Parts: sequence; C-alpha cells; structure tokens
Amino acid sequence: MNIPTKPMLSGERQDALAVDADVIVIGAGPAGMSAAIELASAGCQVIVLDLQPTPGGQIFRALQSNLEARPSTDSLLAALGSAYNAGRTLIQQFRATAGIDYRPETTVWDLRADGTVGWLKGEMAGYLRARHVVVANGAMERPTPFPGWTLPGVMTAGAVQTLIKAGRLQPEGQIVLAGTGPLIFLLADQLRRLGVRPALIARTDRFRDKIFALPHIRPAGIPALLKGLGWLARLRLAGIPMRSRVTELKAQGRDRLETVSLTVAGRGMELSCDLLVVHDGIIPAIELAHCAGLALEWRESDASWRPKTSQDGKAQMAAGPALTSGPCRIRISGDARQIGGADAAVAHGRHAAKAILAELGRASVRPPVGAADQTATDVQRTMAARPFIDAAFPLGLAAQLPDDTTIVCRCEEITAGSLRTSIHGGATDMNLIRGVTRCGMGPCQGRSCAVTLARLLGEAATRTPASPAPFRARPPLRPLPLGALAKLSGLDPELAEVVSLEDKPEAALGGDTNG
Amino acid sequence: MFTPIGSAEATITIFLDGRPIPARAGETIAACLMRAAAPYFRTTPVTSSPRLPFCMIGHCFDCLIEIDGVGSRQACLSQVCDGMRVRTQEGPAAIVGGQTQ
Ligand code: FES
Repeated sequence: MNIPTKPMLSGERQDALAVDADVIVIGAGPAGMSAAIELASAGCQVIVLDLQPTPGGQIFRALQSNLEARPSTDSLLAALGSAYNAGRTLIQQFRATAGIDYRPETTVWDLRADGTVGWLKGEMAGYLRARHVVVANGAMERPTPFPGWTLPGVMTAGAVQTLIKAGRLQPEGQIVLAGTGPLIFLLADQLRRLGVRPALIARTDRFRDKIFALPHIRPAGIPALLKGLGWLARLRLAGIPMRSRVTELKAQGRDRLETVSLTVAGRGMELSCDLLVVHDGIIPAIELAHCAGLALEWRESDASWRPKTSQDGKAQMAAGPALTSGPCRIRISGDARQIGGADAAVAHGRHAAKAILAELGRASVRPPVGAADQTATDVQRTMAARPFIDAAFPLGLAAQLPDDTTIVCRCEEITAGSLRTSIHGGATDMNLIRGVTRCGMGPCQGRSCAVTLARLLGEAATRTPASPAPFRARPPLRPLPLGALAKLSGLDPELAEVVSLEDKPEAALGGDTNG
Repeated sequence: MFTPIGSAEATITIFLDGRPIPARAGETIAACLMRAAAPYFRTTPVTSSPRLPFCMIGHCFDCLIEIDGVGSRQACLSQVCDGMRVRTQEGPAAIVGGQTQ
C-alpha cells in the first residue's frame, strides 16, 4: 500500500529534527488559505491539512462544488448572498498557487509544540513535521445548555447553514430561531431569500445592549454594522415576527421536539415547533492548541478560552512541564485565535505568514524602516467592528447557568445538578470531576461541556476563581481506526518517547496544577 | 424538517437499516439522512434517548452511526458512496478506534 507521506527529508538538519515541509497549515478556511497562499508564493513548501473535501472552511463550505454545479445551484448561491460568494476569489487563488500541497479530507488528531502533526486520511495515518505550524481550525458555536437541547429537532444555526451550503437543503415547517449574534440574522435573511418564513425570531439581546455598545463603534467597523442593519431591515420588512429580551427557553417533546416555550419581557409563551435553531455566538476551537500544551486564557465575559498569542499569532507554551523540547513552532490564526469573521481571518492569515517568512529569512521585500506594517494595519482594520458586536450581542442563551435538571454533558447525559453535587463535595478540578462523573468522557471529549463545567466551578468558588483549565487533552483528539494506528508513518524515536510519556500522563505532568 | 433546494440530484443509493435511500454524490451521510427524514441516527448509551445531528461540523458527536459495519462514525463528516450500508446505532458502542462490529 502506498503511504502518501514522504519519509523525513535527509539533509534538512538545519533544525534539530527533520521536517516534511517548511510550514504545515491546519485548516483550509479563510485564515489557512490566505496564510498558505502567502507562504507558498514566497517559495515555501506548504502542506495544508483540512477535514473537508473542498477548501473554504465553514463560511465558504462547499462553495467550489456549488459553483461547479451551476445552473442547478443558482437559487442556492443567490440565497446565500455575498457573504458566501465572496470566498470565490480566495479559493481560486488557493487552488492556483504552486507549492501548496493541499490534503483534503484529512483529520488532525495530534499536535505538538515542536511542529509535529498527527494526521488521518481514510485508513492511513501518520505524523508530519514542519519548521512552523499555522493552526487555523476555526471556531465552534458556544454551547448553550437549556432544557431539551438534546432533543431531535434542536440544531445550531451553524448546522442549518451547513445543511444549506453542503446539503443543499432548506428547513421546512414551523421554525423558531432563538438566541443572539450576527449569524442568527444572517441565517434568517438567507432563509427569507429561500422563501422560508420562521414563525419567530426569539432574540435574547436587548435594545439597551445596542445603546451601551454605541461608544465602541469605530469608523472602520461601519460597513459591517450597515450590513447587519440591512439584514434586520429586510427581516422587518418581510414581516417576520421578532421578539427581544427572550429568556427561559425550553424545548419540549417526547422523542423529538414538539413545542418551544420561552419568556418574553416577563410574559411566558409556548408555540408548536418542528425545528428550533439556536445560536449564542461563536468561540475559538481550542482543542488543537490545548493538546499541544499551549497557554490558554479564560475570558469570563465571553465564557470561553482562547489561546494566548502575540499579534502575529505566535503561541506560547503553558506553564509547567512540556511534552516536547525546543522552541514553540506554532502560530494560531483566524477565528481559532480570536473571533473576527472571514475578513479578519484572511488579514490575520497573511500577517502570520509574513512573520513566518521573516523568521525563515524569506521576507521578499523588507519594508523601509519606520513604514507602517501593512498586514498588521489590515488586521486592526478588519477587527474594528468586533468591540461593538461583542457589546451589542452579549451572552444570551448561555448567560444564566443551567438549572439542576438540565443536561450539560450531551454525550454522557450528565446534568448540572450532578456536577454541582460533585463540586459541593469538594471537587475543584475539571479532570477530577471528569473521573468522578464521566462528564467530558464521551465521544466529543468535552467539546460541548467544558466551558459550562468551568463556569459551574466558578459559580461555586468562594474566592475569585483562578483561571480554569480545560480537561486535559490526550491524543488522539479524534477517533483513530486501529488499522491506521498499527501502521503509522513518519514516527521517529523521539516521538515514540513522547508517546510513551502520554501513556503515563500523571507521571509526565508531575506537579500539574490545573485548577 | 428539511427539503431539497432545487432538484435533489440523488442519483446514487445508500441503505439505512436495509432501506434504500436516494443520495447525491458528494453530500454527507448526515445531510442525506436529514433529507430522508430519519427520526434519529442513534440512541444514547445512558438513557437510550434518540439523537439527530446538532452541530453538523464535527464537534458534538450526536451524529454517530454505523457505516459499513464500523460503529460510531460521524455522519456529518462522512460522505455517501453508492451502495453504502448505514445502520442506526442503539445505545452503547465503542468509540475509541471506531472498530465495533
Ligand atoms: S452533528 Fe455534531 S459531530 Fe456530527
């Protein structure tokens, strides 16, 4: 059987370890594509690993195949509008740039700070290593535990968008959209163009939030704000019912969703419902950064972690013993670093690439001393609308911690009540609680419950809680078929040693002080 | 709950618990089964509650299903193939390695 990985390049001993490429980019969304284009155009060997069959990330998901399928996808592309079609040029450029070794349908299940990446494609798996790694694995929707959120018929706004883009499907029946954030309005506007009329848009945000957010408006952020106002105006014009100040959302039904109940400005209401679409903003996907032992910061206002990085995306190691030696070779870019959307991700991908080129000594033209750093300026400009958006759409569905009967861990079906019991019993560490309750031990490895558990711990803390640490992450981060595991390629002795440390995490981490 | 935008162009066939389901080359198993109005993909190991896809991008693992004899695969990350045999999954199934029978 052919193993698609080259053996370690000999003669590349400039670094302590042999490498397969100058740079490995994880994720072919806006940040990953733009970093790869910049790097490969400057002559770097770049490997791009991505989960999906075509480039674009979630925002431009399946854009290429939808464009190829025209004219039968014309109405789909028209409904998705400019936010989606804007990806076309970037994808074409990514495809046309020589020197990008693009590997679609590839899962990354391990990442180490020394630039080593564990990959899986079909039944083949192995390790690759590069001088630099750009982590551009994007974001996830903020988990929003509320009563009934596990029922069939409840989905996230991102899930519905994915079904539109990649499944060429539109929802039908009695639809309720609940939550906050730009994505919910974008989705509602796209549904409107598809001729789908939601029964209700139940907004958790208030008019007051917009007033408080006004001082955060920056000139460079105004186009983004106008776009948002345009969505709202069209939804109002179309007469789609919209309520704000919604609280106490519940999904009810036996084997699937039947009704939704909620409170609007103190008054309860209940309506029958086939599909409840929820959204409460997006947060960085930290699993790769965390697996690599990189430093994360907990942001209470945003109820999420994000990796600690410098402006060019350079990550730093978390305090404590490291699993690998040598400098940290990882940069984090796009929404995986800081939520900013597609334009900001493109700008940051380019900025991170410039920094890598400088480190590799391949910066094409040195800017004159004192000249403005163009890519850094672009990063700032594309993030200009963020402070307003963050203030205008504060945490909604997840603002209140769930009541005791609500499921927090979807996989193992652990309620907030049993987690609180364990916390009141003295557990102060997420890993300990995982061991006792099985919360976070299911197939999603804590992706859906970690932020909520961290907040439950904070709720109980009498002193100011220290920055909580997520569940310890152990590769494989995603299921690895045994067959693939048996014939891993690219493994070298140094890595094998680290793998054996992984078998004894407690010994390896010794004085681990997650708390 | 979901209906095709334009023509479905479902020219190949997959089998859900033995039942033939028209599928479009290039779509995910999750999208295909949502169009076919599958009531659930799996039931949970603890309370046997039914689940359908929740996130569609590989985070929640609610879409786990048996594909060609291998249990606990993510339907939202797997593409359909002509003749593929998919089975809803009841209760517990090993996830590590995904090698259940
Ligand atoms: S639907 Fe969430 S992982 Fe597949």
